[in-house]
Amino acid sequence: MPYLVHGLSVAIALLVCLLSLGLVLGLLLSVAEVYGHWTLRIPCTVFERIFRGIPAIVLLLLFYYGVTDFIEMGSFMAAVLALGLRSAAYQSQIFRGAFLSVPQGQMMAARAMGMNKFQAIRDIVLPQALRMSIGPWTNEFSSELKATSLAYVIGVVELTRQAKYIISNTQGNILIVFAVVALMYFIVNRAGNWALYRLENRLALPGFEHRGDA
Amino acid sequence: MLLRVENIHKSYGDAEILKGVSFDMEPGQSKVIMGPSGTGKSTLLRCINHLTEPDQGHVFVDGEELTSKNLNAMRQKVAFVFQDFNLFTHLRTVDNVAIGPRKLRGFDKKAALDLAYQELDRVGLSDRADAYPAELSGGQQQRASIARALAMEPKLILFDEPTSALDPELTGEVVSVMNKLASEGMTMLVVSHEIGFARQAADEIIFMEGGKIIEQGPPSQIFEAPQQDRTRAFLNVIEHGGHE
Ligand SMILES: Nc1ncnc2c1ncn2[C@@H]1O[C@H](COP(=O)(O)OP(=O)(O)OP(=O)(O)O)[C@@H](O)[C@H]1O
Ligand SMILES: [Mg+2]
Repeated sequence: MPYLVHGLSVAIALLVCLLSLGLVLGLLLSVAEVYGHWTLRIPCTVFERIFRGIPAIVLLLLFYYGVTDFIEMGSFMAAVLALGLRSAAYQSQIFRGAFLSVPQGQMMAARAMGMNKFQAIRDIVLPQALRMSIGPWTNEFSSELKATSLAYVIGVVELTRQAKYIISNTQGNILIVFAVVALMYFIVNRAGNWALYRLENRLALPGFEHRGDA
Repeated sequence: MLLRVENIHKSYGDAEILKGVSFDMEPGQSKVIMGPSGTGKSTLLRCINHLTEPDQGHVFVDGEELTSKNLNAMRQKVAFVFQDFNLFTHLRTVDNVAIGPRKLRGFDKKAALDLAYQELDRVGLSDRADAYPAELSGGQQQRASIARALAMEPKLILFDEPTSALDPELTGEVVSVMNKLASEGMTMLVVSHEIGFARQAADEIIFMEGGKIIEQGPPSQIFEAPQQDRTRAFLNVIEHGGHE
């Protein structure tokens, strides 16, 4: 059990790192795709297409066996990069949609007041786009939590790999061990979804409240 | 001279929308631009503060030419009020008004809010300061957007059909705010078919058609004795209830 808890903490650490990387990079990508000059837009779109078009497990293997030949990097770091860059591609699509759903007139009104493009994005469009992103971002959270278990293939000792160790070292009951593991993933997933839903409701604007339940 | 618009041309593709428009405005003047739909009235207003880049021509505000270099500074002097308000959805009414002074004019938070409350009072919206735009009626939203323009303490306000997105019973409250501003000496350039405002507040009516000014003059002349047949025909339509 302590091994599983340790595995879970590694999985959560991986999740937090990859989602943070994905958040920062995904936001930058989406801003470039929506507001950037075409010389910036094209490479960003290419990046996004590539990372959305390759299976996560192949990316993990590519980064672990490919990139580590050139740059010294442990398996955890390789997993953060592979899954984080992939998450950035997915998150950029969430933010892109959110940016585009802010009525264009508000950007025009901000520019007409004398705001430059950067100010208008930062003070007017971004706060609205982030609010609208929380819902779709909850899905991304769930899929990336589950994707952390794939890091198992490049030797990151996260929850799923700990479970395998326990089973082979102690001849523990496979079904029970994996049932506990499944429950752990499930609980983290629900807790995360619940927290994000709370956040979404707290930030909801009057007149645009959420209806229905999580 | 507060505003000088000189020979503005603008085309979209093959279609020449503005075919050389020029006019001037003195401080404190109100002018109303009228003309049939698709004539380029909105395009002209947007060219004045370069929300749309004109192909040709010059705009001077207070003697200084608007260029791509001084664009953001000049836009602070020329406020714009839109047909569909374009309030910032995520900000309370008072913050919509305060954001300009706060972010662009270097006011601290308290000074910006003080000014915002003052401008909301001017448009009769003090009691709705804490509401979000989605909680306001159309007339209130337009008055809030006028307060947002006023908080920039501009030299000139451009209005693009400020009442035409409103139900008829709500246009009155916006028109009376505009009348009041005109009488306080605000310089205003208004695209509108509100005959009431044009008669009461305008110093001059500019009648446009096909991308050109075809007639201009004081309201008494334009309404009582228009020189051009086209002006007369158009006024007939709008005076008899129709909105073009
Ligand atoms: N961004 C654009 N791209 C292409 N054509 C445009 C664009 N903006 C305006 N036009 C065209 O320019 C012409 C003039 O449009 P504009 O909106 O300035 O007219 P208007 O006089 O304001 O009309 P209305 O009374 O209907 O508001 C129209 O034919 C319109 O289709
Ligand atoms: Mg128009």
